[in-house]
Amino acid sequence: VSYTLRGRVESRLAAVLLVVAAACVLALAEHKWWPVEAAGLMLGVGLALDIQVYHPLLRYQPGWAALPLGVLELGLVLLLMRAAGVAAPVWQAVALFGGGWLAAQLLAHAAFPLLRLGYAEDGGELGHLGAAAALSVGAVLAGAGATAYALRPPVVHLAAGVHQGPLVITHREVLVGEPGAVVRGGIVVRASGVTVKNVTVVGGENGITVERVRGTVLDGVSVSGPTLDGIHVRLAGVVIKNCTVDMLGNTLGQGIDISYTMDMGRTMVEGCTVTGGMEGITTHSSMTEIMHNSVSRTTMRGISVTEMSMGMVMDNEVRDARGIGIWCNDRSMCMIERNTVLDTRPDAMGHAFGVLTSFQSEANLWENQLGANPVASAAITQSEVQSGRSFSYR
Amino acid sequence: VRVAVVGSGLAGFTAYQTLRRELEPEEIAVFGLEDDPAATFRRRAAAIRQRQMRSESDGHCLPTTFPGLAFRSAAARRSPAPLVGTLLDRYHPTVGEFLAHVDRLRARSGWDRSFRRARIGRVRAVDGGFELDGHGTFPHVLVATGHPGLNVPDALRTDPRAVHSYEPHEYASTVTVVGAGLAAATEWLNALDVGAEVISVRRREPVRRPLNAPREYFSRRGLSGFNRLGTSERTARLQSLLAPSYPPGRVFDEPLARAMMEDRFRVERSVNGTQQVICATGFLRGFTHDPLLERLVGEHGLETAGGWIVLAPDASVPALSDATRTLALAGVAAQWAFPASDTLAGARFVAHGFLRRIRSCRTR
Repeated sequence: VSYTLRGRVESRLAAVLLVVAAACVLALAEHKWWPVEAAGLMLGVGLALDIQVYHPLLRYQPGWAALPLGVLELGLVLLLMRAAGVAAPVWQAVALFGGGWLAAQLLAHAAFPLLRLGYAEDGGELGHLGAAAALSVGAVLAGAGATAYALRPPVVHLAAGVHQGPLVITHREVLVGEPGAVVRGGIVVRASGVTVKNVTVVGGENGITVERVRGTVLDGVSVSGPTLDGIHVRLAGVVIKNCTVDMLGNTLGQGIDISYTMDMGRTMVEGCTVTGGMEGITTHSSMTEIMHNSVSRTTMRGISVTEMSMGMVMDNEVRDARGIGIWCNDRSMCMIERNTVLDTRPDAMGHAFGVLTSFQSEANLWENQLGANPVASAAITQSEVQSGRSFSYR
Repeated sequence: VRVAVVGSGLAGFTAYQTLRRELEPEEIAVFGLEDDPAATFRRRAAAIRQRQMRSESDGHCLPTTFPGLAFRSAAARRSPAPLVGTLLDRYHPTVGEFLAHVDRLRARSGWDRSFRRARIGRVRAVDGGFELDGHGTFPHVLVATGHPGLNVPDALRTDPRAVHSYEPHEYASTVTVVGAGLAAATEWLNALDVGAEVISVRRREPVRRPLNAPREYFSRRGLSGFNRLGTSERTARLQSLLAPSYPPGRVFDEPLARAMMEDRFRVERSVNGTQQVICATGFLRGFTHDPLLERLVGEHGLETAGGWIVLAPDASVPALSDATRTLALAGVAAQWAFPASDTLAGARFVAHGFLRRIRSCRTR
């Protein structure tokens, strides 16, 4: 077809109507917004390419061109989803795009010509149908946006001053601490979709406990003086970023302990500073990204990825750990890149490793700074270490 | 009967299929001399031994582009090859497939119930429509009289060796083919196939393009700019668009290259002493060669430009069409509105516009 600009846009809007409808159904079924966000991005990318690229460059578009153009659009959509932080399962997003692409082909080659006599000679213009499609897509996306806006969790402001805990959160909400807001005795998250922001926690059994819930975000929290762990995550989906965990004086608790979260998808610890504790950041049976953290003065390992975990440990600084700086253990798979491990002290057996891979684990090491340790890295008990970036746990 | 089609060739037949979406056969009168809509095409294709259509999957007589001939061929053959071919713009139905398609459509569309064997020599605007040479008055008339005749260069008109490519002929051992379009290219290969020595005589190098006109001129994308051109620019554009052309590809290039190496094919500026001269020079151009159109223009003072009748973008005649009646031209006579109007896609384009006008007519 030799599309006119209006024809391209109208055909695009009419075709994407099916995708938007499917995305809404999927969003309702999964109770997640990513399908609608992905459909919105597909439409945005498509329209931008239609106007800026396809219309000026393609005076005639042969049928085969739909394939490379579709691949181009898919790549851009996936990139933008990643950049915009749309948390979509990749294969489901690809399936949504692929279904939409296929539907668009069937519509353009068969359904539209049957619906509108002059579809090809009108350059893909759909007349009233095109206007109706544009209105429908706009209405559905606006409706989805309004719904998302209406369903935003309530924001609860925690006033400056000391609040006696434990503070138990049982509803979806965003808890924002005003400067100087302190909770003494810990926070327990018992609802999905909770965000805790800029709150200081002092004492408590665990500083913050997150258990059996999804979609928890801990952003800018500061934890000190817990009896057990600083941040304690069990069977939950969580993103922890920009936190401070002070475990000095606690020789048995973990700074951040994320365990048994494999079924909850990927968890993340990013931009945190952990001082003291037995292990700074530890994961068990979890799939976790541990990035841009600073861990120091632990009584044992700095960072450990263990018990069949899958972990990406990148750009962290581990200083003054005991025995092992970064540990990949117990049939875990670890990607360990661009970390700096310094001054690891010998443990009771006299061992001190920058990175240790043990008990049938696989680790990929790339561009780590491990020189300032008695042993830079080692693999023991049927474990395997690769160097380079060929390894992927995905 | 409120709608008449003057001309029973492929353009009229394609228009008829579109009209049938909303009208019964008894509401349409088709005037012509041959009840087989493909009769003329069949003779010409046979004369140049054409085996494949230049048109693609949508080169058919149905009102919608889908399902096209590739889809039908894939279903009939139970093979995806035609569909893959059409995705790559490489599917061309065979002449046999196309003629079978016309026969099927003719049988099921009621064409024979609408057909009236009569030559219409005059279309005259009267109150309430157009009077057709004593056959009644119709509010909506589509004139699809086709090419007005074969074009033979003056210098060859009396030459006993000369034959037009669309007239039945065999091949002598030395053949000159005059022309540079698809018919000429087909004749080069035909003559080479039977062992003849071939000389191509042409005024210009042929344009190589898949269809009669650049593809954007088959849609509003190219047509909107074309319709905005002034009279002289549009005349010049039409002359350039309608220059002889044939499709690129190995089908033509390889046999010609081989024949040139064997010194059996060469290009010359003028006709020489070969035993046979085939005029692959197409058709007479201009409405003045069509008595009906010439009379229509003369009697109604219609605007013309460079041999074309000036038409509205939907191929209707502006001076004779209004909210109550329509006179539109189809086929080669509609080039002013659609440069490739002598193709099946062009016939469909005109038919769509004609049906739109009938739909919007207050007295329909």
